[in-house]
Amino acid sequence: MRVTRAVADVSALPRTVFGHRSLMWWGTLGFIIIEGTTLFICAMSYFYLRRNYSTWPPEHIFRPALLIPTIQVILMLASNIPMWWADRASRRMDLQGLRAGFLICSALAVMMTILRWFEFRALNVRWDTSAYGSVAWATLTAHTTLLVLELAETVAFTALLFGNQVEERDLSGASDNAFYWYFLTGVWVPLYAIVFLSPYFM
Amino acid sequence: MSAEAVPVQAAPSVPEEERVRHELEQTWRQPPGLLPWLKSVDHKSVGKRYIITAFIFFVLGGLEAATMRAQLARPENTVLGPDAYNQFFSMHGITMMFLFAVPMMTAIGLYLVPLMIGARNVAFPRLNAYGYWVYLFGGLFLYISFFLNTGPDTGWFSYVPLAGPEFTPGKRADVYAQAITFTEIAALVGSVELIVTIFKNRAPGMTLNRMPLFVWAMLVQAFMVLFAMPWVATATQFLAMDRLVATHFFNPAEGGDPLLWQHLFWFFGHPEVYIIFIPALGFVSSIVATFTRRQVFGYPAMVLSMVATGFLGFGLWVHHMFTTGVPQLGQSFFTGASMMIAIPSGIQIFCWIATIWAGRPRFTVPFLFVLGFVVLFIIGGFTGVMIASVAFDQQVHDTYFIVAHFHYVLIGGAVFPLFAAFYYWFPKLTGRMLSESLGRWNFWLFLLGVNLTFFPMHQLGFEGMPRRVYTYLEETGWGDLNLLATIGAVTIATSMLLFVINVVSSLRQGAPAGDDPWGGETLEWATSSPPRPYNFAYIPVVSGRSPLWASSAEMPVVTGLRTDVRDTLVTTVLDAEPDSKHRHPNPTIWPLLTAVATTILFVTLIFTPWGAVIGTPLLLLGLLGWGWPRGREKWEQQLVEGEA
Ligand code: HEM
Repeated sequence: MRVTRAVADVSALPRTVFGHRSLMWWGTLGFIIIEGTTLFICAMSYFYLRRNYSTWPPEHIFRPALLIPTIQVILMLASNIPMWWADRASRRMDLQGLRAGFLICSALAVMMTILRWFEFRALNVRWDTSAYGSVAWATLTAHTTLLVLELAETVAFTALLFGNQVEERDLSGASDNAFYWYFLTGVWVPLYAIVFLSPYFM
Repeated sequence: MSAEAVPVQAAPSVPEEERVRHELEQTWRQPPGLLPWLKSVDHKSVGKRYIITAFIFFVLGGLEAATMRAQLARPENTVLGPDAYNQFFSMHGITMMFLFAVPMMTAIGLYLVPLMIGARNVAFPRLNAYGYWVYLFGGLFLYISFFLNTGPDTGWFSYVPLAGPEFTPGKRADVYAQAITFTEIAALVGSVELIVTIFKNRAPGMTLNRMPLFVWAMLVQAFMVLFAMPWVATATQFLAMDRLVATHFFNPAEGGDPLLWQHLFWFFGHPEVYIIFIPALGFVSSIVATFTRRQVFGYPAMVLSMVATGFLGFGLWVHHMFTTGVPQLGQSFFTGASMMIAIPSGIQIFCWIATIWAGRPRFTVPFLFVLGFVVLFIIGGFTGVMIASVAFDQQVHDTYFIVAHFHYVLIGGAVFPLFAAFYYWFPKLTGRMLSESLGRWNFWLFLLGVNLTFFPMHQLGFEGMPRRVYTYLEETGWGDLNLLATIGAVTIATSMLLFVINVVSSLRQGAPAGDDPWGGETLEWATSSPPRPYNFAYIPVVSGRSPLWASSAEMPVVTGLRTDVRDTLVTTVLDAEPDSKHRHPNPTIWPLLTAVATTILFVTLIFTPWGAVIGTPLLLLGLLGWGWPRGREKWEQQLVEGEA
């Protein structure tokens, strides 16, 4: 056992910090990298398989419908406004604002999940019809997994915020949830373009 | 509220330190009994389990290898039939790569990194426990399937179309795909743990520039895992879907492409080699420094080489596919990249040699294993540069030359450093020394055995013996060299037995180690052996690369963390300045339950897509229990309500 000599006292340091100062933010970033890579792989596989066909979509397959997917992508982008607002509220330590923001976002997450069901149908192809269908379905499924997890987390978190167990550091947790939300909705834009729009151009 | 650490100049008085230790002990300890064991979130308990489990898989993989060598000892032998042989080499490869090598490196990192950087635990203790359980269940799942005669039989990289639904009916390839998924999740979880712990929990003053080389190695490895593992995880999911719900990713008849599998697999598979190898470099650096009592020469060069290896490792995947008809220019590019990666490895070897040269090395067992590593790795490196040349590779592709090459690299580059690490850190983990004399026998027999086993395989490769054949004819003339290789395998097995005996007897009657038996330079040697559950009574403050070799006998520390909750210090990423306090979670059973739910999800998915419908809610339930608010502190809540 070594003899110790105190050189600093950290008892005055804060417990609740935001953004890259918090551990959870970094953990979230780690999962964003993992999931971002996974979605990137789906996109790469999409282009790789494209080379096996002379037309895209392959012959006898309809192009995807655009209405629902376009509503979805707009909804996802728009959902960032209340989420951003909630994020700001958390940094102000404004619990009421946070509650309101998360309530709205929970409702939006439910809507997005429902729309996702119709997006699968909008693909106009089955997963077992051809490799084109397989990779389109896989990309959508990969993103849906993340969407469902975020839906569950946001709803559970909202419930927590309305309970009487809130701790100061949950505010920082809310902000990390927002960070993930930006990723989840933002990454959908290029994926939407690939899965739904590219069959009109490629 | 001030956000600064306030400087003070005082030694905590002795009774004060006693009180702190006593309270920390109460707060952090793991009570005896099974349930607390299952609930543990201590990085040392989890790390130790991880290490032991990975070692058991190493033994299983070794037994499979021994059985194969018994079969190949003479022509037309009958120990294993063709079907069993296929399962054996597949299980051996999968076990060694996915259940032994990567998890073992991660496990040692999870155990040592917090100690080396002066932290109390990893950043996300519950996630860490979850990662271990998922890994364990994945391994059990694979081996239970194997014992039910449903072990994978298409090799560790399971190429399609062979592994596709048409040519491998039954469930064997599904077992492969899903077992991989388990291990990937565990590896990814481990890498997030390591990265965040290293970035945010370093002792004050441990700037990036002062981080031990081992910690750098784990950081680079963890980033490689983060970017590499999703490729194989996605590939195996595609494979599983092709087999379960008739997608066509790899089915050429419907526009799919078998080469897609190869690209996805090797984009992971080549970095995989470095994922195994880079932590081993970290072991070597720690050991070289301690036993020459010098800082490793060329710290910046060492760090940059590791980082460079990390990047280059991703540029090489196509060299596994030279025989698939890659375009000419591509071939040249990947040949160039493959040769270039020899540069950073070379730099590191030179830095070690310079360190050893300048110091006065002590030839203890850990150091011997390091020397063994250098010798074997150089041989493996030579043959590696040879097969980076396309013309040469086309001749020896899929022969025993390749088997010889990658065993030299893997055993030399990873297993020898690993044994060095076992001997070096065993005293820290257990409080006892391993026997040096048994250790020397272990080392020399191992070195001899590896060369007897694998050197002849180069020649067998030139003579055209293909890999993955369960037997060969008398007339081929391969019998003698194969017998020699089998004798080598027996020698290796003997050396392993000695190691196990050494561990078991030293646990009982090894010499007590004390805190710092070797005179190490890094922080893990500043705490007791084995460390207390809270690691450090006070978080140390670091002012150089070798904190324990500093001239002052006193260790500077910070005070002011709470002792009645699991408090820890969070520091800034670059300069490790104290930034905030963070409360770690208490032990909990939910990571285990969530891992059980994950297992149910993956295993049922092998049989029916409805597995998702059964498994997902269970998984969400697990996560809900995990995050359920409990043990919360009202005073913090008041603060919020007051301000809101
Ligand atoms: C300890 C002594 C070892 C022996 C005697 C041994 C022996 C063998 C043998 C006989 C094969 C099958 C060759 C064939 O039929 O193609 C093989 C394959 C393989 N070994 Fe080992 N091995 C050992 C250690 C290791 C280690 C430590 C690793 C990795 C860290 C490893 C990784 C592999 C891999 C990846 C394969 C290829 C499997 C496949 O073809 O799918 N081996 N080994």
